[in-house]
Amino acid sequence: MSGQGQVSFRNIVKMHGEFAALKGVNFEIKPGEFFALLGPSGSGKSTTLRILAGLDAPTAGRVLIDDKDVTSTDARDRDIAMVFQSYALYPHMTVAENIAFPLEMARLPKAEIASAVHEAARKVKIDHLLDRKPGQLSGGQQQRCALARAIVRKARLFLLDEPLSNLDAKLRLETRAELKKLQRSLGVTAVYVTHDQEEAMTLADRMAVFMSGEIQQIGTPAEVFARPNSIDIAGFIGNPPMNLVPARYVDGDVIIAGHRLKTTTTTAGERDVVVGFRPGALRMTEGGLGARVDLIEDLGDTAVLDLDCAGIMIRMRVSDGNIPGEGETISITTRPQDIHLFDPTTRMRL
Amino acid sequence: MATTVVTSAGIASEAPRSDFGRILAQRERRFAAALLAPAFLALLATTTFPLLFLVYTSAFRMDLAMPFTNGFVGFENYQVLLSDERFWTSLLVSLVYTGSTVALQVIIGLALALLVIDMKRGQGWFRVIAILPVVLSPAVVGMIWRTFMLAPEFGIVDFLAINAGLGSKNWLGDPTLAMVSVIAIHTWQWTPFAFMVLLASLASLPEDIYEAARLDRASAWQRFRRITLPLLRPAIVMVVIMRTMVALTAFAAIFTVTAGGPGTATEILNLYAYRKSFTELSIGYGAALAVALLIVTIIISGILFALRRAK
Repeated sequence: MSGQGQVSFRNIVKMHGEFAALKGVNFEIKPGEFFALLGPSGSGKSTTLRILAGLDAPTAGRVLIDDKDVTSTDARDRDIAMVFQSYALYPHMTVAENIAFPLEMARLPKAEIASAVHEAARKVKIDHLLDRKPGQLSGGQQQRCALARAIVRKARLFLLDEPLSNLDAKLRLETRAELKKLQRSLGVTAVYVTHDQEEAMTLADRMAVFMSGEIQQIGTPAEVFARPNSIDIAGFIGNPPMNLVPARYVDGDVIIAGHRLKTTTTTAGERDVVVGFRPGALRMTEGGLGARVDLIEDLGDTAVLDLDCAGIMIRMRVSDGNIPGEGETISITTRPQDIHLFDPTTRMRL
Repeated sequence: MATTVVTSAGIASEAPRSDFGRILAQRERRFAAALLAPAFLALLATTTFPLLFLVYTSAFRMDLAMPFTNGFVGFENYQVLLSDERFWTSLLVSLVYTGSTVALQVIIGLALALLVIDMKRGQGWFRVIAILPVVLSPAVVGMIWRTFMLAPEFGIVDFLAINAGLGSKNWLGDPTLAMVSVIAIHTWQWTPFAFMVLLASLASLPEDIYEAARLDRASAWQRFRRITLPLLRPAIVMVVIMRTMVALTAFAAIFTVTAGGPGTATEILNLYAYRKSFTELSIGYGAALAVALLIVTIIISGILFALRRAK
């Protein structure tokens, strides 16, 4: 490895004409870390990755890799390997030639290239396909070829732009686990762009959550899940995401549809708030909040209930066998520590 | 006819489906043949028949200046042709002319396409302007070049040569310059064709593999050599094949500019055949020359098509 792979983004702004794709992005990635850029489409995560790769230039701000300013360094001089969403394999070259290409460009001796190509292909289990052209490979095999091409040169940074999005569901799960193992065994810094929060949660050591051109929260997946910074993140992370209900805060309690719930959060006086609670944090209990079951989505081991609670729509996850019928009225509650409070105007956590 | 329809309908209700299908297919074939016939006959009359007649003529001595010597001579015309120095010279001129103009068309066309593909504005205008020479008649192109461009003292090219300090040249009177001129004229007219085909081909190449190549540390030249060129190969080979066939049979532009002169400096095989047949009125020998050109064209295109399939 030619470097440590430490990344620092300082106030990066990217304008497309009048439109701000990135509005001042700051983050640090530690060497060897698996860092995810998570966000919905158009939130700026891919733009961030392209600026890091050197494929696009930022309008303002600085990019540092290993404490060296690379803002105006060309992509070819940054020592970065990348797996594209489309894989971007060279269609006229065989798998072996594709994997060998970055080494040939680095003018490595032929013998060294051959052994490195075999080694990389073996790591991603495509060493039996070296003579094929990309057009003769399945989607999963193409993806592996792209991975091999990226790991073969042992770059200091490893970028992945939604690498699993073109795979079918089963293959995606398998590859996800392999990707994590691969990154650990190589010990390389990886930056991973995805819109799939499950991927980010399972793969990343830390993640940055993007919303409309800004990072709203940086933290470990557990931190972001447990303490979302804003209403937007709360509504984005988790499957199904957090219930967000307008309510009134009075002396340590919140009042939802006339029902009082205790919270552990304290804030001054009496005010309007947005209350958040995860579907899995709801329990059925006597004397709780009354709700009618509108719809049941049975997922096998768990079920998600759509509840109508005096006109407010709430989703609840039930994992024991005790699933009520559609149209039944049940009574629900949640523990005080599972209640998150947000400011309805600033949309930030209280 | 009416009876047939009734019977076939009657059979269809009882006979297996395949029978009915066969009858339908037969009718379909007959209808298709009827539609095809006019075009097929026209083609036979205008291309196949003249071609066969040409080969037939080449086996005769048919001299309009000396009709008393006319008669069947078999392969004699071809024997004469093989020892005819002027034939070999004109064949060489044809090959030089074709080879240089096709190479120039591809190189200049590709260079222009690479330049234009990166143009953010005015690409549409460039295409429209570039296509203009192609739509002109080769005879008109020849006239324009002979008078407007290459005329001594007044022609634009000569004017530029004088101003560049090269002095006035006899562009169409000097054997070498005449050859260069006719190659330049053909290249000028047909480069836009190569340009358009290669530009379209370039535009269809995916952007992301170039980004991948940049990250793989390929320089601009390496990206061109290792990615652009191999991916454009099918288009380039196609352009070479099409332009070679046209260049081998070029006629009108050279005829209007130099008429094969000075002497036989720009006399391609096509022009030699024309001169033999219609200037010297030796129709039989002219036909043999034309057949020779046909054979050369078939051999060269055969080689090119084999190259195309090779990889």
